[in-house]
Amino acid sequence: MTPESGPLPESGPFPEGRPLSEFTVELDVYSGPYEWLLALILKDEVEIFEVPLKELIDLYLSSRDTAATNALERDAEFASSASSLVLLKSRTLLPLFEPEPGEEDEPIEPEELAGRLALYLRVKRGAEVLRVRLEENSGHLTTGHELRPRPGWLKLDRRKLDLAARRLFSRLEEPTVSHLGEITVTVQELAALIRTSLGGSGPVSFEEITREMDRLHVAVAFAAALSLANEGAVSLSQSEPLGPLTLELLT
Amino acid sequence: MNRSPENDGPVPSPETTDAPPASAVVEAVLFVSGRPVSRRELAALTELTAERLESGISALRTRCESPESGLVLREVAGGLQLATKVRLAPVIENYRGEARPSPLSAAALEVLSCVLYLGPVSRGGVSRVRGVNSDAVVRGLLERNLLAETGRESESPLAPALLNVTEDFFIASGAPDSDDFPPLRSLVSEEELARVRERVNAETGPSETGPSETGPSETGGPG
Repeated sequence: MTPESGPLPESGPFPEGRPLSEFTVELDVYSGPYEWLLALILKDEVEIFEVPLKELIDLYLSSRDTAATNALERDAEFASSASSLVLLKSRTLLPLFEPEPGEEDEPIEPEELAGRLALYLRVKRGAEVLRVRLEENSGHLTTGHELRPRPGWLKLDRRKLDLAARRLFSRLEEPTVSHLGEITVTVQELAALIRTSLGGSGPVSFEEITREMDRLHVAVAFAAALSLANEGAVSLSQSEPLGPLTLELLT
Repeated sequence: MNRSPENDGPVPSPETTDAPPASAVVEAVLFVSGRPVSRRELAALTELTAERLESGISALRTRCESPESGLVLREVAGGLQLATKVRLAPVIENYRGEARPSPLSAAALEVLSCVLYLGPVSRGGVSRVRGVNSDAVVRGLLERNLLAETGRESESPLAPALLNVTEDFFIASGAPDSDDFPPLRSLVSEEELARVRERVNAETGPSETGPSETGPSETGGPG
């Protein structure tokens, strides 16, 4: 559908689920039917560079009706168009290749060109010789028995082995930790908090200690509890795997 | 140490009455080997003298040439190999239930020719001769084990890998070595080269210097 194709059909009950043409988006750069957005991008009336694709995909995901009978078809249609947008945007982000001054191909001398053509002609004739030889010999079949390699016959290229080992044991990409947020608490602080919570009150469950904490604090508190147990300051007990964890001061 | 002559030890000397003929020994070894076996290796394995070995090879070849034999003795990849005769291929392929590998494309044959005659050569060298990027074709030939990386061009930046043809290539082409192929220079006649020069001059204008037929890494023959 294009912007010229007329207004969209009115909304109504869609027992099969809403078709993709009914998907509308609300972005800073554009607001309206998704298919119109595609048309405007293709006509260069909306700059693909300014379209937040992640936001667009999030909008679609939030509008999905997974119970609809045509959900798969709609998802596929969206994935197809969205992947085209990703490709288009990727291309705009890549630098345009322009040869540096002086990097252009130098004009080739006629004698050099003739030499290259002569060499290529010979190689091409050689290919014809090979074609005949390979064809003539393709009908010779040998035993299917494969001999085991003899000890010491396996040749290993030391450099290739070294490279393979480096690839295997090196981390090619640093894992992202952006989702963790800023860490504002230390293990020592929470260890002190655990000591205080356990002071003279007998066994206390880990859940009780961390009841008011967010996930980050709970994780650091767990590290603090392990650290204290390792030092012999507290004992940790758990009646069953994944069951409640109980802490008790030892000294 | 006591060794049973039936399953261990070299071939008994011809002086003993039960010594098998040299041709039978060579035939037996070649029969069980999937790869070509060199004369040196055969001699070391069987402890046959050079004279007896050659005599055995000759007798085996004669026997294989008989229409009664389904085998052929090939000299390929620097060694000897027993294989079935070409006319029996349909029967063998039917028995094994396998199709013959698809023929190589024209591009693949050009790359093989390049490496055979100009190798060892880098991927870039192959692409320069052909005038097009040949990396994908090279990859396919590496997968078919017709080409192998056999070294590095250490003088060049990034030391690109050097390609060469493999034992499987010589087996597939029925060649003992690269000398079995016609020299590169013999593949194109002087008349044809003259026509190439004429066409180049017609396109670019005549050159004052004489034609240079030798490319940057061209040699007179393969190997």
